[in-house]
Amino acid sequence: MSLTNYVRVVERTSIPSSAVLLFGMPDVGLVGVIAASHMISELKLEEVAYIDTDLLPPMIVLHKGTPHMPLRIFGNKELLLAVSEVALPANAIHRIMRSLVEWGEQKNVNIVVSIGGIPTPNRQEINEPKVFAIASNPQLVQWLEGKIEWQGRKLDKPFEILREGYMVGPYALVLQYCMQRNIPAVGLLAQAFYNYPDPHAAAMVLKELSRVVAVEIDVSQLIEKGEEIRLKARDIMKRTERELSKMRKAQEYDIPLYV
Amino acid sequence: MTFERRRRSIFELISEYMRAIEEEIEERLREFFVDHPSWNPRTCTLEPLCNVFITPDEVVITADLPYAEKDTIEVKPLNNNLFEIKAKLKRKICFEDLGITHQEGEFSTFYCQVRVPVAVEKEERKISFKNGILEVRLPRKKKHEIKIE
Repeated sequence: MSLTNYVRVVERTSIPSSAVLLFGMPDVGLVGVIAASHMISELKLEEVAYIDTDLLPPMIVLHKGTPHMPLRIFGNKELLLAVSEVALPANAIHRIMRSLVEWGEQKNVNIVVSIGGIPTPNRQEINEPKVFAIASNPQLVQWLEGKIEWQGRKLDKPFEILREGYMVGPYALVLQYCMQRNIPAVGLLAQAFYNYPDPHAAAMVLKELSRVVAVEIDVSQLIEKGEEIRLKARDIMKRTERELSKMRKAQEYDIPLYV
Repeated sequence: MTFERRRRSIFELISEYMRAIEEEIEERLREFFVDHPSWNPRTCTLEPLCNVFITPDEVVITADLPYAEKDTIEVKPLNNNLFEIKAKLKRKICFEDLGITHQEGEFSTFYCQVRVPVAVEKEERKISFKNGILEVRLPRKKKHEIKIE
């Protein structure tokens, strides 16, 4: 192991094989982080691993008086959920996301699901944010469209697929690395504010998540606590926005040209 | 006692000067835009998240104001390109409400100043507040219109 620029996943308990690996990373509207945080408390997920790396700022997070790594993996017998409590530095994101996907591959995960937001300029006018889906291969796209069965399951209602466009940030890399390694990967992205914490978008993503993986999450508390979450999340949102702008996140608004 | 003085070239001096300015700007930016707390117990204020969008016709300022009391929201121009946003919270928020127990203080107001980088008609501002988001629309000043013959 090199002494600089290392990323290692340190397991604290035994990790189940063939689990679902979810990502709740800081991105637009902090949708993934808010949704992940709610999942952890609702499903009472335990910390199963943490990420030891010198690519993050030199910090720990204190909870109940004890130190924790800012990038951790929570889980139970069926689920693994990677979540970050700090904005991921733009220049470290490739190595961190690659290491996490590689770890998931070693653990033989069944499917990778990224939960997040898609920046929507008129978000303020939208009362019920729509959730779009993306997938790492054409077969999964067809499954999300409700056209075929995948692993013996067929969806009752199709997802709206994000068909054309650019993706920038941690979930773009998750999709890329999963595609390269033939790991089935899906992304669920709700219409969200670009740089305001969006608990409502997080609730919509969690509602849709239950259709992809066998998990039911009550989101009533999340909606009820919306204002409190928005107040608490201001600082991490500000720092996340700064990193997103370094990643040229605004390219997601661009119209692509296919030749 | 003798001092040996090496005469530095004008380019070295300029380069050193520029480096010092760059460092100063970077430090100031970090201090004012990122690395300052989003709260001030002395003034009992919290700083909201804000955005400024510029379109060809108008400037749109938005601010995320959770817990804000709609009737107390004030948007005041301080000069031609600086606006002050103030709003009282529905209830006082203390550090403990935010999960922090090692700081003391409580907050009753959102406060921030927003700079608008282009000329606007500050008296023609339109203000709305929906789902906790404040929106201020300012028409841009149209000084020069070039007519196409």
